[in-house]
Order: sequence, then C-alpha cells, then structure tokens
Amino acid sequence: MLLRVVLLFLTALVVASPAFAAGKDAIAVIYPDIGEPYHGIFEKIIEGIEDKVGSPVANHPVGADTDIGVLKASLLQQNTKVVIALGRQGMKTATALNNNISIVVGGVLTVPENEARAQPVISLTPDPALLFARMKALKPATKRVFVVYDPGFNDWLMKLAREAAHSQELELVAYEAHDLRSAVRFYREIFSAAGGRSDVLWLPQDSTTVEERSILPLVLQESWNKNLAVFSSNSAHVRRGVLFSLYPDNVALGKSLATLAQGILISGGYRSRGMMPLRDVQSAVNLRTAQHLGLNLGFQPGFDTTFPEQ
Amino acid sequence: MRPGANMNKLIARLTAVALAVAWSAGAGAGQATEEEELALAYGDKSFVSIASGSRQPIARAPSVATVITAEDIAAIGAADLDEVLETVPGLHVSHSPILYNPIYTIRGIHTQYNPQVLMLVNGIPITGVFVGNRSQIWGGMPVENIARIEVIRGPGSALYGADAFSGVINIITKTSTDIDGTQPGLRLGSFNSRDAWVQHGGTWGGLDAAAYLRVGRTDGQHQIVAADALTGSSNPTLAPGPVNLDRDAIDGRLDLSRDKWRLRAGYQQREVGTGAGVASALDPAGKNYGERISSDLTWQDINFTPDLDVTAQASYLHITEKSDLTLFPAGVNLGSGVFPNGMIGNPYKWERHWRFNLSAAYTGLQNHKLRFGTGTQNDNLYRTQETKNFDATYTPGPLTDVSDSAPFLRPHSRRVNYIYAQDEWSFIRDWYLTAGVRHDRYSDFGATTNPRLALVWETAYNLTSKLLYGRAFRPPSFSELYNINNPVALGNPNLKPETNESVELAFAWQAASTLQANLNLFRYQMRDILRFVQNPDTSYTAQNAGRQHGQGMEVELVWEARSDLRLSGNYAQQRSIDETTNQDAGNAPRHHAYARADWRFMPHMTLDTQLNYVAGRKREPSDPRPAIADYHTVDLTLRSQLRNSDWDFAFKVLNLFDADAREPSPAPGLIPNDLPLAPREWRLELTHQF
Repeated sequence: MLLRVVLLFLTALVVASPAFAAGKDAIAVIYPDIGEPYHGIFEKIIEGIEDKVGSPVANHPVGADTDIGVLKASLLQQNTKVVIALGRQGMKTATALNNNISIVVGGVLTVPENEARAQPVISLTPDPALLFARMKALKPATKRVFVVYDPGFNDWLMKLAREAAHSQELELVAYEAHDLRSAVRFYREIFSAAGGRSDVLWLPQDSTTVEERSILPLVLQESWNKNLAVFSSNSAHVRRGVLFSLYPDNVALGKSLATLAQGILISGGYRSRGMMPLRDVQSAVNLRTAQHLGLNLGFQPGFDTTFPEQ
Repeated sequence: MRPGANMNKLIARLTAVALAVAWSAGAGAGQATEEEELALAYGDKSFVSIASGSRQPIARAPSVATVITAEDIAAIGAADLDEVLETVPGLHVSHSPILYNPIYTIRGIHTQYNPQVLMLVNGIPITGVFVGNRSQIWGGMPVENIARIEVIRGPGSALYGADAFSGVINIITKTSTDIDGTQPGLRLGSFNSRDAWVQHGGTWGGLDAAAYLRVGRTDGQHQIVAADALTGSSNPTLAPGPVNLDRDAIDGRLDLSRDKWRLRAGYQQREVGTGAGVASALDPAGKNYGERISSDLTWQDINFTPDLDVTAQASYLHITEKSDLTLFPAGVNLGSGVFPNGMIGNPYKWERHWRFNLSAAYTGLQNHKLRFGTGTQNDNLYRTQETKNFDATYTPGPLTDVSDSAPFLRPHSRRVNYIYAQDEWSFIRDWYLTAGVRHDRYSDFGATTNPRLALVWETAYNLTSKLLYGRAFRPPSFSELYNINNPVALGNPNLKPETNESVELAFAWQAASTLQANLNLFRYQMRDILRFVQNPDTSYTAQNAGRQHGQGMEVELVWEARSDLRLSGNYAQQRSIDETTNQDAGNAPRHHAYARADWRFMPHMTLDTQLNYVAGRKREPSDPRPAIADYHTVDLTLRSQLRNSDWDFAFKVLNLFDADAREPSPAPGLIPNDLPLAPREWRLELTHQF
C-alpha cells in the first residue's frame, strides 16, 4: 500500500511537472555548428520551436567530429523522445544515433526518397502552390509556367508542382535536364517559345539547371529583353533581378517542426513521413523588375523585403 | 629609428602570422556543403542579413545613395558614427579645432561648422539653429542602436528642405524587431575608454517596444599640438600640449508602436573637452555640456484610401549648450591688459524646435507615383546667457554676467512653412522622370523654391543609368543673422540663403553574379556662400560672399570573391575651386580611397581589414601653408561569436601602423601643424543576446 501511494505520488509529481507538460525534456534539437550568418537561421528556428513548446529545449550543435556516443548518452539522460534535426549535418548525426529516439528533419532542401521515408522532413523549398499563387496575384494573366529541373534533385517537387499548377488552372511546362548543357538548350527553347503576357519562368533551387555564373545571367538578360516574368525559389535571385521569391520564415518553420514533434510525443509514433514543402514563408520582390514588366506595385507592395535597396 | 617603428614591425609580423594561422584554420573549416545548401534557400550571406529583419527602401527619390546596415557596422567594429561615415564614397570625416567636432566633407564642400550636411534621425532633422549644424557640443553618436544609415550625396532640398546641401545623413534606429530580446554590451579601449549599454526589444502592454541606454566615458587621445594661436607671440601658451578630448556621454532611446501609431523619444547628454581650443589656443580647463531631448509622434495609414498612404508627424527637439571656456590662458595680453586668470568666456544657449508634417503618397494614376506634403516648424533659440571677463575691445575685467547687457546673441525665433510635391512618371518602358519641387517660406529672410529632376533609364537587366539635377539651400543661421558683441563674427539680418546646384550622372552595374560596380560623376556650383567677411576695421560680419564650383567622380566595387571572402572599396576624386581666387577651395581631399576585406576564416570568426587613404588636401586660398601631408590608416577587427553561446566578442586595432594622420586646421593656420588624429589604439567589445 505504501509503495502504491509513493508510486502514485511520484507519478503525480512527474505529470504535474512543467517539463512533462511542455515536453521540455522529451524534445531536443540537433543543428550544424556553423558560422554566421547561417548560424542565426538555426537560432531563429530554435526560437520558434521553443515558442511552440513553451519552454527552452535542449539543443546540441554538431559537426563532423561530434562523438555520437556522448551525444546519445546526453540525449538519453535528458529523456529525449524526439530529436528535431536541423540542416544536413544535423540530419546525418540524428540518423547515426540509431536508437528509439524519433526524428523530425528541417533545414534541408531535399532528402533522397528512401531516406525521407523514415521520418517527416520539412524542406527549405517553398511550396510551388504558394509560388504559383503569388505569381498569379501579381500577374493574373499568367497561364503557363516554364521550368527546367534536374530530376535527380527535384523530382519530388515537380510532382507537387504539377498538382499545384492543375489546381490553379496553370499549365506547367517542365523540362528535365541532367546537366548544364541540356539546361542551356532548354532555356533557349523556352525563350524562343515563351512570350506574351501569359508565360512565366520558374527557377527552382537547383545548382545544375540554375547555375549561377552562366545560366542565371543568361536567364536574366533574355527575360529582361523579352519582358518575361521570372520567379525563383532562391531569394538571392531577387536582388539579381528576378521578380519575386519566397524564403523561409524561420520562427514559423520552428513552430511547424515543433508541432510535428509534439504530434509524435502524443501519438507515440510518426503520423506522417516523407518530404513536405515549406509553407512558412516570407516574400521578396524586385521593384525595378516589376516596373520593367509594367506591374505597378505602389509604395507599399505587400512584400517582406524589397529590392533594389536604394 | 623612432621608437614606434620597431613596434610597427612587430605588429606587422604578428598580423602576418595571425593571418597565416587563420588561413590554414579556414582551409579546414569544411562547411561548404551545408552552406551551399542553405544559400540555395536563403540566398547569399548578404541576403540572409537583410532577410533577418523586414526592410523597406527609405530613399524616396532617385539619388546617389549609400546604405550601411547594422551588420556592416558590426563587421568593421565601429563604435562611433564617424567611423562608419568615413567608409562612404565621396565623404571624408575631418575635424574642427573646436571640440574636434566632425566635419562631414562631401564632394569637396568643407566648412568649419559644417551646416551644409543635413543629419536626420528617423527622418527628422536634428539641426540646431545657432550655427545650423548638429549642434556645437556634439560628442559623437554611438552605433549599437542604429539599424541602418542612409547617406545621400548631392542636393536634396526638394524633399528635405534646408541644409540638404552637400548631402543628407539619415540614421534609422533599431525597432523592437531589430533588437528582438535583450542585449547588454561592454566596450573597453585605449585612452581609458569604457562604454556600457543595454537595449531591449519586445512587447510591452500590447505595444511593440524598443529601449536603449548607454553610458560611456573616455579620456580621449592625447596627441600633442606643437604650436597654437599664441605660439611665437609674447603671450604665454600651453603649446606644446595635448588635445583635450575627454568625454562623458549618456544616450537613451525609446520607441513604442502600435498599429498606425509610433512614439519615439531620445536623450543625449555630453560633457566634452575643448579639442584644440575654441580660439585655436589649447584649453585644458574648458568644459562643454550639451543635452539633446527629442520626441516624435507619428501616425501612418498606408491604406488611408486605396492607393493613398498618409502620414502625419509631430516632433520636438530641445537643445541645451553650456560652454565654460578659457579662450586664452592666464597671463595673456591682447593689447589692452593682462588677464591674470586667462580670458574667460562662458556662453550658454537653449533652443526648442517644433515640427508638424503631413505627407501623402498616391499611386492611383497609371504610370505615376505622386508624393506631396506640407508642414510648419518653429525654431526658437529662446534663451542665451553669458559670463565673461572681457569687453568688445578685449580689455580685461572681472567675470561679469553680460546676459542682459552685452550677450553674444539675444533670443530669436523663426517660423518656416513649406509645401512640396513630387511625381515619378514612367513615360516609356524603363524610362522614369522624377520631378519635384519644394517651396519654403521663412519668417526672417523670405522664401526659397528648390526643384529636383531625375531621369532614370533601366538600360539593361544589370545596368541602371541616372541623370540627376538638384538645387539646395542653406538658410543663414542665427549666428550669421544676429550675432552681436563678437567682433570676429558679427551677424547681418540682411542675408539670403547660400545655394548649391548640382548635376550628376550615375551608373549602377551588376557586372557579374559576384561583382557590383557603381560610377558617379558630378558637378556642382555654390552661390551666395555665407562667410564672415572682414570690415574696414578689424571686425568681421556675415555676408553672402563668394562662389565655389567643383567636379569629381566616385567608383565603388563590391566583390564576393569566395563564400568566405568579401572585398569592397571605393575611390573618390574631386576638385573644388574658390571662384574669388580661382584656387582650390581647400581642406577637402582630392583623392580618397577606401578598401575593405571581410574574411570569415572559421565558422564563428571573421577578420575585417580596412584601408583608408586620404590625399591631396590643398590649403584654403588665404592660407599660405604648404599642402597638408597625405595619410593612410589600417584598421583590423576580429569578431567572434563564442562557440555555442550567445556571447559575441570583438577586438579592434585602429591605425595599426601608427600613422601620423592629421586633419587641416582652418586658415590662416593658427594651429600651424594641424590637428593630430589618434595614434594606434585598441578596443575590446563583449555583447550578449538574451
């Protein structure tokens, strides 16, 4: 009897403790030990996670030289049930833990399908549906979206893009390019085929088909000369002259990752797995390009960041 | 060999070793893959910095402008605004002997009180009316609370009104979003310098709130002035002796906002030394107390009606200046008797300024963007007080309160009403014509109208060309209009504003994905320059006397050489001619070059190197001295985020090679060997983010 009373008392203590209520010790974050300014990105994501959890969470910067054994011991000591793994290094380290701790991945662009199947992954790639919707809002006449992509990298994204295009009554004209040479050829085809007010070009996050030094200048020059609207999944392109882009809202992304982690805690297992596009986004626009395209966005264009800066 | 030379060699060797070690450390960093992936989502490093806070462009008219962000300020380890402004192409920070006040020399326009540069804090002028500058007891501006600085070169009176003459410096302070938490900081440095500050950004009772408090003091550098105004005369002199740059400073800011409303308040208090002396004679005992209190209430509705953005703003500025000066030291005799305790003058003055502004931006017309506004302001130098121990003939006497009998200035006020309009018209694709005009009516000297025209051609996807014309004015200050009982600077109520007309041609070229280049060419013409001109006797009275013209160019380059290395720099060249003598107008550098390298050699460590080269400073036409020597300085800043913590650490060495850098003393050269700048100094900074 005494034992039962003690056990009940201890259970009550645990359940009533703030740590249990907030899942404080149950969720930990692993993120790459990286310099600024990217370090600040992970800080903001963690801030979002903690906002959602309601208390500070244990976080572990990791590098290639991190001792997995020590990290695992530390996580177990903290009663970790779910690890939110951020970045490529965070994910690599988390999967190497190889134990009963569940994983939620964020802060990566894409993960091979066989690896993504093991846990939920929120990509840093903006949801094509959001990009298309923003494009249509800026230019309602938009009917056709051209894109050149590397299937080895963005196949999963194109599936989503086709669905998004269909639901928004857009035609997605997608070219598969496995190398730079074929990408250039496809862009030339696009620029000879595209024209008029209803065509736009989408630049995905793809270092093959949107190579910075050769393809991007070509795309920017040709699209400028042909008055073709170009939007990108890479926000740096907006400064270069692309019309607009969407980029991660880090705090909101942190909250979404924490929501997934809390779902695992509650249900005791994964509710969903695989790649998910980024839906927590902010927006950037190039007003110079907008003016060139005849889009009058006014003094308050409704974007989070505007270019040019002067 | 002078003693410093060995030390310089040692520091150079240590630096070389440090760089070599850092290079080898950087080679093994191995962050490329992760960073490349993040760069695809977030953009390059500069975009990450921009995107970390919501930023909107502030320049409201086509212009040649430079934007400096808080990240830039942190990278160069700046502690004061002047260190930041020196990096701007076409802008050189010189100094006056009076308190070593900064002179922002823009495109060759250099005057001792520097009223030709308009300084704004959050878009609101902080101009005093006594000499028309940022107030005579300046004492620097700390940078921790600055979110960004916009510097616009060239005339801007069509939008900004008075004093937007050679340029406009707009300082944007941090909001709650920019600070986002609590940041305490501490800085120690040479010359017994120490600063402590804390800033906080968050929500408070449903308001977005940002607050900042800083307390600092320094003994200031002690470089020796070898000779001053009294050297070589029969009078006693304190030269050779050190400049007096001790300073106590308090700064506070508060920013509260909710929906369409924003309330801001600022407080600056300074107690500063006399520099090289108010009368160009060393004054180690003199003290200057300055206080600035500012506040503004702003209401903005960006959707007042569809396409119409309306802003209403009321602002207040109060300036207190109290100087207790020993103009010349004990024993001096200016021909009318000996001053046993020195020649003492203690001028005090108080100013208050009210401003009301209503502005609107309308985008409802196809191909047009309209801005218009109106406002009124009252500049009131409402009280003066003076005690001194001499009269108008410099005859010694007891220390007497002359506030009522013979002050340097009696209270005056002026009212200014203004109206402006501007339209940006897209008349053909990629061609934009911006036309603006502003009319200011002053209660004392009358009215002035100043236009601006800007033709912008988006020449190619990576090239923008601008042709700019502008006219600016500087109203006569109260010292120029109303000074009395000061034979070397008597006022003249019949003055009109001095003016500046300028034509600029500017090109911005994104030469490659990692290379941005800008080229600006300019020409200007100053008329009716306000100067104190000698009368038939030995006194001087303010007059519209003289003209000056100039021309020049600025080149800027920014090269993202590698993911961990950014190189940037600029070169400015100008030649300004005084039309009375057809000689160089003097003091402004004909050549100014600045180079900077930011190298992130380890994931958490950056090394910033700056080179500043100032050359070709001729004397004013009335100054017989040979041209002042050129100089170059090198600054190093090492910044580190302490691993796995929210602590940030910076170490900076300024003037690493201990160059003998000097700024020109004004004509005729009462301080013959000019104004020495600080020798090598160091600084250590620690900040924390909660």
